[in-house]
Amino acid sequence: MRLSSPEDLELYREQLLRRVKPQRWVRVCAGTGCLAGGSQRVYEALVEEARRIGLDSPVKFQARCSGCHGFCEEGPLVVCGMRGSEVLYRKVRREDALEILLALADDRVVERLLYRDGREVYREERHIPFYALQMRKVLERCGKVDPRDVDHYISLGGYASLARALSMSPEEVIDLVTRAGLRGRGGGGFPAGQKWASCRSASGPQKFVLANGDEGDPGAFMDRSLMEGDPHSILEGMIIGAHAVGASKGFIYVRDEYPLAVENLTHAIREARRLGLLGRRILGSDLSFDVDICRGGGAFVCGESSALMASIEGRPGEPRVKYIRSTERGLWECPTVLNNVETWANVPIIIREGVEGYRSLGTKDSPGTKVFSLVGKVRRSGLVEVPMGTTLREIIFEIGGGVMGRNRFKAVQTGGPSGGCLPESKLDLPVDFDRLTREGSMMGSGGMIVMDHRSCMVDVARYFVKFLEGESCGKCAPCREGLKAMGEILEDLCSRRGRPGDVEMLLSMGNALTDTALCGLGQTAANPVLSTLRHFMEEYREHQDQGFCRAGVCRGMFVARVEADLCVSCGACAKVCPFDAIHRDPSGKFAVDQRCEGCGACLDVCPMGALLPSPRGVRE
Amino acid sequence: MKIWVDGRELDVERDVLLYDAMVSAGVEVPALCRHGGLPHEGTCRVCMVEVDIRGKRRLVASCMYPARDQGLKVYTSTRRVEVARRFVIGLLLRRNPASPAIRALADRWGAMDTSRLSPVEGKDLCIRCGRCVRACATFGARAISFANRGWDREVCTPLKEPTLICVGCLSCAEVCPTGHITYRESQGERQIWGRTFHLVRCSRCGDPFATREQLELVRDRGDVCPRCLREEEGLALRDG
Repeated sequence: MRLSSPEDLELYREQLLRRVKPQRWVRVCAGTGCLAGGSQRVYEALVEEARRIGLDSPVKFQARCSGCHGFCEEGPLVVCGMRGSEVLYRKVRREDALEILLALADDRVVERLLYRDGREVYREERHIPFYALQMRKVLERCGKVDPRDVDHYISLGGYASLARALSMSPEEVIDLVTRAGLRGRGGGGFPAGQKWASCRSASGPQKFVLANGDEGDPGAFMDRSLMEGDPHSILEGMIIGAHAVGASKGFIYVRDEYPLAVENLTHAIREARRLGLLGRRILGSDLSFDVDICRGGGAFVCGESSALMASIEGRPGEPRVKYIRSTERGLWECPTVLNNVETWANVPIIIREGVEGYRSLGTKDSPGTKVFSLVGKVRRSGLVEVPMGTTLREIIFEIGGGVMGRNRFKAVQTGGPSGGCLPESKLDLPVDFDRLTREGSMMGSGGMIVMDHRSCMVDVARYFVKFLEGESCGKCAPCREGLKAMGEILEDLCSRRGRPGDVEMLLSMGNALTDTALCGLGQTAANPVLSTLRHFMEEYREHQDQGFCRAGVCRGMFVARVEADLCVSCGACAKVCPFDAIHRDPSGKFAVDQRCEGCGACLDVCPMGALLPSPRGVRE
Repeated sequence: MKIWVDGRELDVERDVLLYDAMVSAGVEVPALCRHGGLPHEGTCRVCMVEVDIRGKRRLVASCMYPARDQGLKVYTSTRRVEVARRFVIGLLLRRNPASPAIRALADRWGAMDTSRLSPVEGKDLCIRCGRCVRACATFGARAISFANRGWDREVCTPLKEPTLICVGCLSCAEVCPTGHITYRESQGERQIWGRTFHLVRCSRCGDPFATREQLELVRDRGDVCPRCLREEEGLALRDG
């Protein structure tokens, strides 16, 4: 069946909505996290048991899969629908299927599977603090819609924005996006409307729109969840973009390590083609546009725009010098618009809500919402969508529930390897593109790694520099040679081989690398070092001058010391010490002797936090 | 249009590359990966200069940067440029301490002190500028390319085996700025990239001057390699 006009689409939507709704339903999360936890088997068990107990008539009951809810640490997640309420079960196993169904049939709730936080028990997802403070726009349907069913997407209002956009002229669409102030969600924050306008006015035999789904930052999974959970929203955005800039072909560049994203997007494209939402004369308009998927081989640098285009063209995924923008000369030298998948998913929202509606969230210069993946030493981790301008404190402490265990907050790393670390004093910083950049970090694609006082900032810088050293394509000299040199000094600092002048050398090399590297990866590669130098200089000095790591991370750069007041004599430290350096002293408390090699094992196990790293040689 | 280089007004054509404009005006700028007969890539970052575009200052690779803004201001020896240049030359010198070309560059323009860093093992003269790869592709053989990435990036033939694609034309060795690519020639034979080529003698003077494969490549280039097929595909797409 082909939808040949906007009216067709609306009729089709009405038809779908008139279908009898099941009285009761379950929705099993089939995102990567929950699948790894066994949600496929949970789904199968639910279907199987439903048939066995005679719940399987479409009127009575329906089981569906959905995309990621963003609360993966509690997965597999199952949502049950009954009498207008939606109950969330977490950590569901296959064996729970029958109990869930029987309870569902009687409109009861399985108490033991509900989410708990302290004494509070939560029935519905939206009341859980993790969700309650979020504002889900881009992720609105993620976790609700069945990503493998275009009908479901349409019945939830999908493709209405496309129909509306097609009734507008390309210039009107660009004007709308420009006035809404949409900025690129991939990290740079470049105004999307400006990009589109420049592509629109560029001349070329053909134009392209591309979606960047080559998410590669350690700890980040926003784009993956969106591609897996709501692929049609990305497609819809791209088709609107194609209409605006006059493109006839699009590619979604997805890294091949995201097999489910590839699968769901492929399926979505096929369904969109079937309905005539892709292909010739979309919804009866003059727009002819098709999308293909291009799978990336996993090189981090392929997320950089020129490397991504090189990769699509079939050349090695290496960036090129681009003093001429890709909106003028991009893919195959044609005018090209490349946006992150999250940026594309924002487009239908803008069309639907208009400039004022869209701008009602976020800040003046960074309107709308942003999805972050909140991970690290935080109590509740997962995908978080908040309006721009929300403070780091709100995200980490209110939504994330603060730092895990009894540890103290130390820093938050934003923006992935190209971003930086911000200390506690910056927690009240409203998160938007410009503020983060001003403080030496950046929005990046939205990774947010929380660190406590057991994270060594020199070690963190070392980790990211070594990561980027491995991911540098090696094309330009500063990145290839400079990261190696910086990595060497950082390795030395983290293993008691620091020398006077190291910190200054790191600083000057970092600044020079930022100035000279060829592409965005190299130009931002020094950020983890520069931002930690800026906010945590004392730690670098301690590493360099005293060979001391206050976090107790860098091996051999501290010795453990028992804070007697805190020690409860449990003996966990003595048990785990590989050097037999911890023994009970006459008072019954434990103490560390000179055999301590500074491995940190006891620091990790002490339930009271009574073991502290202290400089070597202090005790002698 | 007019641009300003170190306070000097230059009259240039729009889209001329800064490096070319500066050199023809007698301004001295170092460069390594740039070669007049090859497409530019801007990878060595030695030719960087500072530009002022409507009040925004940044460093650019002058060999790639087209003059497009009327009244563009270019600075070739600000402190920022000098720090950047010394940084890059210092890093290259650290990797290729034996290279006379890099040494000369360091003597003329200065180099960051890298004595803090451990010496690099192995005697490698390659600075990964890619001139050889571009020369090989420009000539039409495409027998060598970069393998691996980052620090391990190196120029080699496919799988580092002697390759039949190589025609022994010496374009790569000719353009190498550091003398990394070597070859041997004696008694009508030439050895390069692990292969031995017989040299064809000039019909008039009888001196050996080129390999048979090289001459064949120039004469008959009918077959299309997979890479070109892909390019054709791209062009077809572009032209609808």
